[in-house]
Amino acid sequence: MQEIVKTNGLTKRYKNTLSVSNLNMSVNEGRIYGFLGPNGAGKTTTLKMLLSLVRPTAGEIDIMGKRLNSKTRTELLRDIGSLVESPSYYGHLTGEENLRILQTLLDVPKQNIDKVLEIVRLDRQRSKKVSAYSLGMKQRLGLAEALLSFPKLLILDEPTNGLDPSGIQEMRELIKFLPKQYGMTVIVSSHLLSEIDQMAEDVGIIANGKMMYQGALDRLHEIDTNKSLEEIFLDLTGKEMSL
Amino acid sequence: MIKLLKCEYMKTRRRHVFVTALIITAVMLVWIFPRNHSADLLRLGWMANLYELPLINAIFMPLLSIIVSSRLCDIEHKGIMLKQLAVTTERGKIYDAKLIYGLAIMLFCTVLSWAATIAFGYYKGFSGDVPIKLYLLYLLFTAVPTLAVYIFQHTLSLCFKNQTVTFFAGVIGTFSGVFSLFLPQFPWLRKSLIWGYYGALQFVGLFDWTTEDRYKLAHFDVMGTDWTSFAIIAAACVIMYILGRMWFKRKEL
Repeated sequence: MQEIVKTNGLTKRYKNTLSVSNLNMSVNEGRIYGFLGPNGAGKTTTLKMLLSLVRPTAGEIDIMGKRLNSKTRTELLRDIGSLVESPSYYGHLTGEENLRILQTLLDVPKQNIDKVLEIVRLDRQRSKKVSAYSLGMKQRLGLAEALLSFPKLLILDEPTNGLDPSGIQEMRELIKFLPKQYGMTVIVSSHLLSEIDQMAEDVGIIANGKMMYQGALDRLHEIDTNKSLEEIFLDLTGKEMSL
Repeated sequence: MIKLLKCEYMKTRRRHVFVTALIITAVMLVWIFPRNHSADLLRLGWMANLYELPLINAIFMPLLSIIVSSRLCDIEHKGIMLKQLAVTTERGKIYDAKLIYGLAIMLFCTVLSWAATIAFGYYKGFSGDVPIKLYLLYLLFTAVPTLAVYIFQHTLSLCFKNQTVTFFAGVIGTFSGVFSLFLPQFPWLRKSLIWGYYGALQFVGLFDWTTEDRYKLAHFDVMGTDWTSFAIIAAACVIMYILGRMWFKRKEL
């Protein structure tokens, strides 16, 4: 299986704090890769480095077989959709107007707006100002923005944050549906093990900026058959986390 | 770039940025015009305008810059849109498109107030013909310091989430610039502040004015054009643009 994302010795240091340390990440094409770790483990920083929003202190990133640098950045990012930290939107505009701006910038067909609004089930609220959207609706709009160009790679950072149980369930189903329907590769981060367990096929576990485990989720269960997944995870991260 | 400018227009829907800019320009014009002009002042009207307007510009143009740049950039910070834009297009282009869009509004207001000044002179019946070459020079000497101030405000507004920082930096600059105009004995002061160049580039002086006779014996004369100061502020525009763009491109989002 071809690697769509590969990092080599990826490191990010903020003054005296080492946020990400020598991280070797490997994401296979067409899979859902769960990026799991406690709060502050370095998940968001890693994902931001993949998107060129943060400059690595050291290390390399290869995306779709090409080295990510200032020359290839624009070309590579065209094939990546993202929702990092919180959804981005212009509150004074409607959902459709928000997507229209990105559609113009990305130079993708106008019909994509209708398609993504339908996928995230926001087609009925398209004419409503985003400031009047609920958090769940904003999160779905963020996902629609990420999907607008139907990218090869989708990076979602804690996409279920702040959602109610039904919103979480809905988002999870949406994420699972994308690789099957559109052949996308999805990297989804979470601090919730149960979340990743229900969505991902592969998993990368990060703690204190270091990759503690990477591979198929099924194999994680095999590390110690006497222990539950939660116990294995806690052993790996050495930290207490919400399950 | 056309695509990005189109997006800037789409983003500012319902934000009334242009209307706000027009209102501030109207306030500036209302401050300048409605006053009684004596026969002496009507005789000197065209030149009197060129003498007085740089001070008015030193107050209003930076304030207009603060408001326009802040309203244009605040929408990106409020909805955390810079992150999304930065993964969609080149950062340098985002900086440029926003700058061009804001400058277009500023330039429109500058030309509007300039044209209104001339129209007002005709309406009031200022003696003689409008000295068009001097008025064009005045337009240039208003536009370039405005460009410098706007680039400064634009960069701050784009790089700082908290627009209060931008506002205070702009207001402090504006007051310093205006203050420097009242200290002609320290010409270096106005030349060391981008806000002081409205005064540094003032090329009309008032002579023989007395409190008793006021404008009876007074006359306005061209003092000479300070092209060195013009070159300095033009260079400041280029330097601020390069540094501001670089800062924005390197900023971690």
